[in-house]
Amino acid sequence: MEDRNIQIQLGAGAIVASVFLIVVAIPVWVSSPSNVPNIILSPLFWPNVLAAITALIGAGMIVTSIARPGPETSSDTADADRQGAFKRLAIMAVIMAACMLAMPVVGLVWTAMATFVATGFLVKTTHPRTVVICAVLVPLFLYVFFAHVAGVAIPQGDFVRLP
Amino acid sequence: MSFVDSVLAGLQLVGHLEAFLALAIGVAVGVIGGAIPGLSATMAVALTLPFTFSMTPITGILLLLGVYKGGIFGGSIPAILIKTPGTPASSATVLDGYPMAEKGQAGKALGMALWASCTADVVSNLSLIFFAGFLASFALSFGPPEFFTLMLFSLTIIAGVSGESLLRGALSAMLGLLLATVGLDLIYGTNRFTFGNPNMMGGLNFIAVLIGLFAIPEILSMVWNPASHDGATRGLGKDRITFQEYKSSFKSIIRGSFIGVFLGSIPGIGAAPAAFLSYSEARRKSPNRENFGKGEIEGVAASEAGNNGVAGATLIPLLALGVPGDVITAIIMGAFMIHGLQPGPMMFILNVDIIYGLFIGLIVSSVFLFFIGSVAIRGFKYVADIPRGVLFPAVLILCIYGVFAVNNNIFDVGVMFFMGWVGFVMMRYKVPAAPFLIAFILGPLLEDNFRQAMLMSGSSGWILFRGPITWFFWTLTAITVIAIVRAGIKATRHGKTAQT
Repeated sequence: MEDRNIQIQLGAGAIVASVFLIVVAIPVWVSSPSNVPNIILSPLFWPNVLAAITALIGAGMIVTSIARPGPETSSDTADADRQGAFKRLAIMAVIMAACMLAMPVVGLVWTAMATFVATGFLVKTTHPRTVVICAVLVPLFLYVFFAHVAGVAIPQGDFVRLP
Repeated sequence: MSFVDSVLAGLQLVGHLEAFLALAIGVAVGVIGGAIPGLSATMAVALTLPFTFSMTPITGILLLLGVYKGGIFGGSIPAILIKTPGTPASSATVLDGYPMAEKGQAGKALGMALWASCTADVVSNLSLIFFAGFLASFALSFGPPEFFTLMLFSLTIIAGVSGESLLRGALSAMLGLLLATVGLDLIYGTNRFTFGNPNMMGGLNFIAVLIGLFAIPEILSMVWNPASHDGATRGLGKDRITFQEYKSSFKSIIRGSFIGVFLGSIPGIGAAPAAFLSYSEARRKSPNRENFGKGEIEGVAASEAGNNGVAGATLIPLLALGVPGDVITAIIMGAFMIHGLQPGPMMFILNVDIIYGLFIGLIVSSVFLFFIGSVAIRGFKYVADIPRGVLFPAVLILCIYGVFAVNNNIFDVGVMFFMGWVGFVMMRYKVPAAPFLIAFILGPLLEDNFRQAMLMSGSSGWILFRGPITWFFWTLTAITVIAIVRAGIKATRHGKTAQT
C-alpha cells in the first residue's frame, strides 16, 4: 500500500473516531454532575478537547498527504501469503480468546501450556520437541516463582490443582 | 539531611546482597534481551517489571535499571556480529562494527564497544548525581500551573519518538491521552468510559497497556510472517582490544559521553540520535576520518559512548521533574508508581535514601556491566541461536503471567491482548507506539494539574501564566513547536523537490 493511502486512511479514521466521540461516546459514556460551576472543570471538557484535537490531526494528515505524495512502501509479506497470514492471525485471535475463557476454568498453568504449544506450532516452529518441553517447563517455572516467591494467587482451575 | 547522611542512608538501603544481586541479574537479562534482535531493551524492561512486585522498591528499581543499562550495551553485540542492531540505539555501531567483524576483528570491536559503554556509563551516572538534585531543588517551588506547563512541554517529547511522521506520532499520543481518561473522574468521581464495569473504574492497568503495546505486536508480527530471522554469526577473531587503542579513542569516548548526557537529559531525544551525533563528531575530528565506515575502531567507540551516555542522563528529568526522558524511563516511572513512589522533586525530600541508593546502585552497575558484558560477548552465539519459534511463545506466556500478577485479575490479561491488537494495527499502519505510552502516562498528570490550577484561580486561565517558571515553559514549548513545524515544512518542500 502507498504511504500516502495509509496517511489518508488514518486521517479519515481519526476524523470519524473524533465525530463519534463528540456526538455519541462522550455524551453517553461520560457522566457529569449537573452543578459544575464552569465548563472547564467538567469531566466532559477534557475528552471533548482531545477529540477535537484528534479531528484536527486527522485533517492535517489528509492535507499533508495530498500536498506531499509519499513513496511506495514495500510489503513484507507477498500477496500469495497474505491469505495465509490473515488465517494465522485469526487463529491467534481464537487462541487468545480461548486462553481468556479457559484460565478461570482449567487454571493458568495448564492454559499457558496449551497456549505455548498452539502458538509454537502456529508460527511454524522448526523445533517441535523443544516447544513441547518448554511448554511444560516455562509455565511451571513461572508458577513456582509467582505463586511461591511473589505470593500471587495463580488461578488453579476446577480440575488438576498444583501444590 | 547532609550529603554524607544521605549517602549513608542510601548505602544502608542498598548495602546488602539482594540489591546487588538484583542489579547483576538485571544487567545480565538486559544484555541478553538487547542481544536478541527483535526483543529490544524496551521489551526486556517491560517483561522484567512484573518480577519486581515481590521485591522492595529499591531492589525492584535497581533490577530494572540494570536491564536498561545492559540492554543498551547488549544491542551492540548483534550490531557488530550479524549487522542487526539489537536496539535502535546501536544502529550507528553497525557502520564500523560490522566491517571490523568482516575483517576478523569482531573481538576487538566488541571489546571497544564494552570499554566505551562502561566509560560513558560512568560519565552519565556522575552527571545524573550532580545535576538531578540541583534541578529537583529548583522544581520544589512548582505548583499545579507550573507542573501543567512542564507536562505540556514534556508532550513535545512526542516529536522525538514519532519516527518518520510527526502527525502519526501526534495521533498516537491523542489515542494515549484519550485512553488515559478511562476511569473515575479525578475531581467529581463520575464515570468516564467505564461502561459500568468495575474493573475499569480505576483506569486501565498501566502494565497491561505497556506490555500489550510493546510485546504482543511483536508476537503477532511473528504470526503474520513466521520466516525466521536470518543472520550469520561471525567469529570473534584473535585480536583483542589494547589499552593503547582505548587511549587513542579516549577523546572521542568522552566527547560522545557528554553528547549522550546532553541529549539524554532533554526528554524525547533518545539514544539513537546521540549515537549518530557522537559518531559524526568523531569522524569530523579524527585524523583517520577516511577510515570511518570501513572498520575504524574509533567509530565503534564514539557511537557506543554516545548511546550509553544517554542511559543515566534520561533519569535526570525523571527523578528531578517526574518527566520520563524516553520510553524505557516511562516504564521505569510506572515501576516507581507501582511501588508507591512518585518520581519528582518531592522524592528528594521524602525518599532521599532511595535516591542515593539508586545513585550508588547506578555506579555499581557500570562495574557489573563491564564483567557481565565481557562474558556476554563470548556467549552471544548461544543467545543468537535461540529459535524464534520457541522464544516468542515463551514471551507470550511470560506476558500473561506478568500482567495477571499485577492485580491478580484476568481482566488485565484481556486488556493486554486487546492493546496487543491495537499495537499490531498501529505497527502495520506505521503509527509509532512510544507516543501512545508517554501520553498515557502524562495524560492524567496534565489534566489533574490543569484542573487543580483552574480550581485555584476560579477558572481563570491567567494562572497558567502567573510567573517566570510558567513563562519559561511556555517559551520552551513555543520554540519546540515552531522548530517542529519548520522541520515539517522543510520535509514537505524536500519531498516535493525530490518528486520533481
